[in-house]
Amino acid sequence: MKSKAWTEKFMQGVFFVAACASVLAVALICVFLFANGIPAMKEIGFIKFLTGDVWRPSSEQFGILSMIVGSLYVTAGAIIFGVPIGILTSVFMAMYCPKRIYKPLKAATELLAGIPSVIYGFFGLVVVVPLVRDFGNVLYRAGIVEKAGDGNSILTASLILGIMILPTIIGTTESAMRAVPSHYYQGSLALGATKERSIFRVIIPAAKSGVVAGIVLGIGRAIGETMAVIMIAGNQPRITGSILQGIRTLTGNIVIEMGYATGLHREALIATGVVLFVFILIINFSVALLKRGADHE
Amino acid sequence: MSNKTTIGDKLRTYLKHPGSFLVMLLVMLAAIITFVVLIFLIAYILINGVPHIKPSLFALEYTSENASVVPALVNTIIMTFLSLLIAVPFGIFSAIFLVEYAGRGNKFVEVIRLTTETLSGIPSIVYGLFGMLFFVNTLDWGFSLLAGAFTMAIMILPLIMRTTEEALKAVPDSYREGSFGLGAGKLRTVFRIVLPSAIPGVLAGVILAIGRIVGETAALMYTSGTVAQIPDSIMGSGRTLALHMYNLSSEGLYMDQAYATAVILLILVVGINTLSSVIARKLTKA
Amino acid sequence: MKMKKFIAVLSIASMMAVAAVGCGSKDGEDAGTDKGSEGSWDAASAISVVSREEGSGTRGAFTELFGVVDEDDNDMTTLDAQTTNNTSVMMTTVSENEYAIGYISLGSLDESLVKAVKIDGAEATAENIENGSYKVSRPFNVAMKPDLDNPVATDFMAFIMSTEGQEVVSGEGYIPVAEVEAYAGTAPEGSCVVGGSSSVSPLMEKLIEAYKEVNPNASIELQTTDSTTGMTSAIEGSYDIGMASRELKDEEAAELEGTVIATDGIAVIVNKDNPTDDLSVDQVKSIYVGDVTTWDAV
Repeated sequence: MKSKAWTEKFMQGVFFVAACASVLAVALICVFLFANGIPAMKEIGFIKFLTGDVWRPSSEQFGILSMIVGSLYVTAGAIIFGVPIGILTSVFMAMYCPKRIYKPLKAATELLAGIPSVIYGFFGLVVVVPLVRDFGNVLYRAGIVEKAGDGNSILTASLILGIMILPTIIGTTESAMRAVPSHYYQGSLALGATKERSIFRVIIPAAKSGVVAGIVLGIGRAIGETMAVIMIAGNQPRITGSILQGIRTLTGNIVIEMGYATGLHREALIATGVVLFVFILIINFSVALLKRGADHE
Repeated sequence: MSNKTTIGDKLRTYLKHPGSFLVMLLVMLAAIITFVVLIFLIAYILINGVPHIKPSLFALEYTSENASVVPALVNTIIMTFLSLLIAVPFGIFSAIFLVEYAGRGNKFVEVIRLTTETLSGIPSIVYGLFGMLFFVNTLDWGFSLLAGAFTMAIMILPLIMRTTEEALKAVPDSYREGSFGLGAGKLRTVFRIVLPSAIPGVLAGVILAIGRIVGETAALMYTSGTVAQIPDSIMGSGRTLALHMYNLSSEGLYMDQAYATAVILLILVVGINTLSSVIARKLTKA
Repeated sequence: MKMKKFIAVLSIASMMAVAAVGCGSKDGEDAGTDKGSEGSWDAASAISVVSREEGSGTRGAFTELFGVVDEDDNDMTTLDAQTTNNTSVMMTTVSENEYAIGYISLGSLDESLVKAVKIDGAEATAENIENGSYKVSRPFNVAMKPDLDNPVATDFMAFIMSTEGQEVVSGEGYIPVAEVEAYAGTAPEGSCVVGGSSSVSPLMEKLIEAYKEVNPNASIELQTTDSTTGMTSAIEGSYDIGMASRELKDEEAAELEGTVIATDGIAVIVNKDNPTDDLSVDQVKSIYVGDVTTWDAV
């Protein structure tokens, strides 16, 4: 009897230690990134680094404002394309899908998650870029936009990222919806609500935390995606107002130039990573705050 | 609750509620868009890759002539296995701690939750930089499968934690109460009652995690290195399939082989997914 | 409240539907234009300038040789230029976009995809680089610590700088180093790690395979990363031999001994439907600085 109590205590300790692993990992990542990035930021000047819009490392000008804006643009684009389609598709998967075709479809979405980003990149480059270029030319001839752009653009990157975050959103949202007890749904139907009304007014609100988690994961993937984006976004380090023009993202900046950078340039790239990291922190904190607000309601 | 609603019944309901009908159409449209894009993508890969799958691609040794995928394939499997070996116990145990042991409103739980969400949001390139600075340089493991596996393990940890947590939460409290009522201890309840019912959810997380490992390039480039051979030990360097593909494609000399590699990668992912669903079925039945 | 949300979702979905339909119809158009695309060449169209990333050996050599720099040698490539760090992305972009211009390593040039233009009348070939009429080229460097004690690494270096090694270099389309002697190595047993620039890597792979034939006792590991990682890892000791597709920086040269193993040409490439065959150095410069933005103004 005593040994059993001991085992209970011991295992509780093991669970606790395991739970500490993620805290430890974040702490380590913080320490190593900040130790390598902050000195460079100091040398360049915090304000100059964050608000400068000229990035010309060869002439010692390091301003990443255009990249910050770029990352925001493509992430917003990815959300606009990916989130509605993702959530509606998971509604289809959870509530509408005939049993016979469910398995292949489910396998297919899982497959989508396993396709390496390089493939998405080439797919974008060969298939989507020419389409967007033609689209730009049509708008240009119609006089809607001033420049047609060459296809490597914010729009292209948003479309591809929108596709890339689909499996993340579908996976989490669907399992969250399935976890809602079925008597919620049956009860709503019994009260005379239509199937759609029951889904959107009862099940989705009940599965809210899972849905939000899926969207946050998706946003994380969109901001962090590198290999596919650098192939299709054009990577021009400047601010633009048109979604048909190219842009460079923070991640793109790191991967593209890390290879040949030395000295201050290299440190400035690690500092770019730090900025990216701080962004993620801000997003997570605001989501956590939002959630707390919602819980208190 | 009769299951014999005819199409006519459905139509009549929708006539009464045009809003619902529209929503239904939107759902269908979204599903169609998703799967058309998906089929298009897969077809694109198959059309470009299948014609270039040749026996020479499966030679045991990689040379610049045959661009063999076998070493990379083996490395991918080793890498996946190692990363899961590290991440899955940690992920499941921390989820158990969060759901079964920690009290509500515990400050520490909030810290863990925040750090997990932070981890899941960190871009893979940042993991790559960190892995290089920490595992490769500071711990002096050099470019090695082990450094890559640890980096990947940290990367997939939040994914496994999150899905396990959701799955554990979904297990009805009546199960736990029943088990306690029969005199089982907490540990026994967790391992015998709660965890088995949560297995499908946990596996969903593992599948997503495998997908990420298999498809990862940026983080592994700076940690596991790019040698195109099977290393002698896990302290040696080796490239996974995705990295292999990236390297084949980056100088533009082996595009055909790169697409063929992509097909093999796809087959691998399908294989892993099928295997895990078979295991899931076995486990839930037993 | 619910209605608003609903309308938002509806409008987004309908936008998607329009986009999807638009894409579908454009697919058809594309198929049509591909066949008769020569007729569709419109010289008034904007040039899509494609460049390599800042700091890349290829870009460094390109901007220097074409004078895309200001008085202080600062890179002046137009900010509107697309940037890529990947040769095949460069080639694919140029082969997909009729109005694009880019530049790549001569060793990677695939003439079935893109067209290399003549510079000041000289064709981009190994002979023309050797006899000096085609001037756009850069060195492939390898570097090791002067006091490195690894017989395999030393012997492999001797092999690269021998007649046999340089035959491999010219066989792969690069320009060999002049004046070398036959390989007279000792074929020692052991292993070594070579790593660095992805531009040098394809050539190094061939060199390693050729070396293994004369010395089956040695095992050589090849790490494909980039020039800077190659140099820093050689300094730190995780690589025995580092590779760089650029000149060594001063701080690297202080710790390492660099050797030029080959010269690589840089080809300026355009789409195959582009009627331009010949460009002068000044024309290329004005395109890359951003003074000229359409093909008819070149």
